[in-house]
Amino acid sequence: MAIRINLYHEVQKARQLKRRDPLKLSMYSLSAIGACFAIYYGVELGRMHAIGSELARAQEEFNQIDPKAKAAKLREDEMSEEIRKSELVTRRMEERFYWAPMLEQIAQTVPREVQVTRLVGEVSGDSVHKCSIVLDGLSAGSDPRKVAEELRTALAEKLGPSYKGVTSTFKSLEDGTELVMLDGKQIATASFAINLQFTTGEEAIAPTVRKKR
Amino acid sequence: MKFGKEEIQKIVLGGLLVIGVVYSYFDLLLAPLKKQQAAARKTTEDLGPQILNARGQLKRTADLERNFAERTVPLRQVDGMIPEGSPVAWFPTKIGDFFKRQGIEKTTTKLNTESPEKELTGFRRISWGIDLAKVGYGQFGSAVSRLENEDPLLEIRSLQIDASRDDAETQRVALTVVNLVKQ
Repeated sequence: MAIRINLYHEVQKARQLKRRDPLKLSMYSLSAIGACFAIYYGVELGRMHAIGSELARAQEEFNQIDPKAKAAKLREDEMSEEIRKSELVTRRMEERFYWAPMLEQIAQTVPREVQVTRLVGEVSGDSVHKCSIVLDGLSAGSDPRKVAEELRTALAEKLGPSYKGVTSTFKSLEDGTELVMLDGKQIATASFAINLQFTTGEEAIAPTVRKKR
Repeated sequence: MKFGKEEIQKIVLGGLLVIGVVYSYFDLLLAPLKKQQAAARKTTEDLGPQILNARGQLKRTADLERNFAERTVPLRQVDGMIPEGSPVAWFPTKIGDFFKRQGIEKTTTKLNTESPEKELTGFRRISWGIDLAKVGYGQFGSAVSRLENEDPLLEIRSLQIDASRDDAETQRVALTVVNLVKQ
């Protein structure tokens, strides 16, 4: 077998060493990583641009709509106030206490043996009306006290269906000293003062509704 | 493969340089960009509901505007019912004329008190004392009924009916009424 001597082995080794130079390899790797970083940064910049555009569009839309919305809010407040006032006025008108039906009911209840000499009525409260009526008068008959008592109970019964919490009490009931002529007869009298109290309006009705629940 | 002292120094230096570059890339370039992105995204997200609210507000106002005229008819009617000028000038005359139409001649109307309406801005409430010297009970009842129906802004707060000693058929009546007038 012939001996072959590679006279270039040193040159080849040097070339091989140069090809596998770690510094060169690391430079390549670092360059690749750097390129990746740059690409990634570019992508992020692009994303940032898209987000910025979206923000600018939203901001522009908001800038356009916001003054209109503020003006609309002011107008809404104005209109709401007017509507509230309108509803309040309507409620006030509808929830007034009407005296005419009350006077009619009293007139229907007073019998011919009774003369009412004074009627004082007062109503307080806006949505809930507390009404107080005092009737002063004279009752006549064989038992004038009984006539007055019948009037007291008749008033409570008459007003009961129309109003809430009707109470009818005597403030005073005294035998009268004078006699009066009725149907051609002289009969005894009694003077009385009846106090009528009741309520009407929202709250007077509310407890019944709550009970039903 | 053996590295010489000089090469080791280069490698260490290179390593430090790489670390520095990587740190700078993340901390000085990428982090602020990410922060900016997050801030922009948050602002956009925050603007979303605000824009929706604003659109909702515009829609609500438009809806309310559509029903506004219809819902404020009573207020406009009330406005029309109240005459211009000082109530002291027109109210006693109005009441006197009203009771005259009902056959009650002698009427005296006096101003008692006046107070602003807290819930109804632009209006005030005036309390009046009305004195009817001579009136029959039935006639008075009928007049009260008409008054309560004709003038919805007026409310009778108290009344006093006194039987006349001289004439059994007539009574003297004192009324306290409140009415709503413009401020």
